Amino acid sequence: MLTKNIANLTNICTFEPYFTKTMKITILDGNMNGGSNDYSLFMDNLIPLLRKENTVEVFPLHAMDLKYCNGCWSCWWKTPGECAQKDDAEQIFRAYMHSDFVLFASPLIAGFTSSALKKITDRLILLLHPYIQMDVGESHHHKRYDHYPDFGLLLQQEADTDEQDIAIINDIYDRLSLNFHTHRRFTRFVENTHLEELAYETCHI
Amino acid sequence: MKLVIFNGSPRYKKSNSALLIHQFLEGYNFFNIDKVPVYYLTSNTQREASADLFHKAETVLIVFPLYTDCMPGIVKEFFERIVQHSTESVTEKIGYIVQSGFPESIHASFLEKYLKKLAQRLNCEYLGTVIKGGVEGIQIMPPVMTNKLFNQFEKLGESFALYGTFESKIVAELRKPYTYSRTYSRMFNLLSKTGLTNFYWNSNLKKNGAYNKRFDRPYQKR
Repeated sequence: MLTKNIANLTNICTFEPYFTKTMKITILDGNMNGGSNDYSLFMDNLIPLLRKENTVEVFPLHAMDLKYCNGCWSCWWKTPGECAQKDDAEQIFRAYMHSDFVLFASPLIAGFTSSALKKITDRLILLLHPYIQMDVGESHHHKRYDHYPDFGLLLQQEADTDEQDIAIINDIYDRLSLNFHTHRRFTRFVENTHLEELAYETCHI
Repeated sequence: MKLVIFNGSPRYKKSNSALLIHQFLEGYNFFNIDKVPVYYLTSNTQREASADLFHKAETVLIVFPLYTDCMPGIVKEFFERIVQHSTESVTEKIGYIVQSGFPESIHASFLEKYLKKLAQRLNCEYLGTVIKGGVEGIQIMPPVMTNKLFNQFEKLGESFALYGTFESKIVAELRKPYTYSRTYSRMFNLLSKTGLTNFYWNSNLKKNGAYNKRFDRPYQKR
C-alpha cells in the first residue's frame, strides 16, 4: 500500500513525459504521389517521432491493391462484416479496429482529401451494422463493434485552399464521425504544424 | 444545349442512379431530339476518357449515390481528373444529382457545398444539386411506391430541357424530409425494437443464409 502511494506521489510530482502511454495508431496515407515533396517529408519525420513510444501502422494507400466499394452490400447481408472483394483492405480493417487513434493523412486534391483515401473510407462501411437507428431526426447505422477509434486529419493544402474549403472538409469528416460513432479530434496542415506538437496532440487524445 | 451525363454509381447499369437518369431522360427527350450520352465511371475505358468527355461537353450532369455522406471514391477520382485539365475545358454549366439510401437530405447537404465550390473551381455555372434520399430498394418496389418519384424525375428532365435548369419546386419536394421530428425518431426507435424496421435487412440476410451471422465481428480479434 505504502509502495503504491509512493508510486502515485512520484507520478504527481514528476513532469509528464513526452508520451504518456503507448497507443496503437493507424495512419491511412492518401498521398497519390510516391515521390519526395513537402508532404512526404513531413510524414517521414512524423512517423518515427510517433513510433518512439507507440505502435504505429502506416498504410501507403497508393501502393496497395485496393478496389473501390462496388455497393454490393455483401458485407451486410451475405458475409456480415466481411468484404466480398479480396485485396489489401483486410489489413486496414483489422488495424483500424485495433487502433486507439486513426490519422487520415492526405494532400488536398480538387478541394478534398485524395481519392485513394476516399476509396478506403467507403470500404469502412463494413465495420457498421446495417440496422438503422434514429438520432436527432437522422438515420444512422448501428454499431457492429463496441468501440471505434477517434481520428484526426492531417492535410496538405493546395495553392487555392481557403477557409471555406477547410470548413467543408471539416463538416464532411464530422459527418463521417457521426456515422461511425466516433470523433474528429483535430485537423492540421503540414504547412503550419510543428511536428512535435502534432505528435504530442496525437498521443494525448 | 449539348448535355452529357456521367453516372458515378459503382453499381454501373444496375444502379438506382441509372434508373433515375432513365426517368430524367424520359422527360428530357420529350423536348429534345439530340441523343444524350450517358457515361459510366465504373467502366474502365469510359473512366480513362472521362476528363476529355467532360471538357468537350457544354452542359454536364453528374449523378451518383452518397457514400459516407460524401461522393464515392470513384467520383472523387473523376473530380481529380477534371480539375487537372480544367483550362482546356469548354464546359459552361454543371449540375449534380445525389441520391442516398437514408431518407433525410441532411446527409448530402454538406457535400452540396463542396459540389458548388467544385463548379467554381472548374469556372462553370453551377446549376444546383438535386438531393433525393430514400432511394434504396426502388428497383424492387411495386410501381405504386415509385410512381411519384419517377414522375418527379420525368418532370425534372422536361423542365431541364426547356429552361436549362432544375425546376426549383421539384428540387424542394425531392429534398423532403431534411430531418425527421424528434417524435418520429422516438417512434422509429421504439418500432425498431419489434424488428419491423429491420425487415428489409433481415429478409436479405435470410435469403443469403447469413441471418445467424448478422452480428459477427470478424475483426474483433487480432
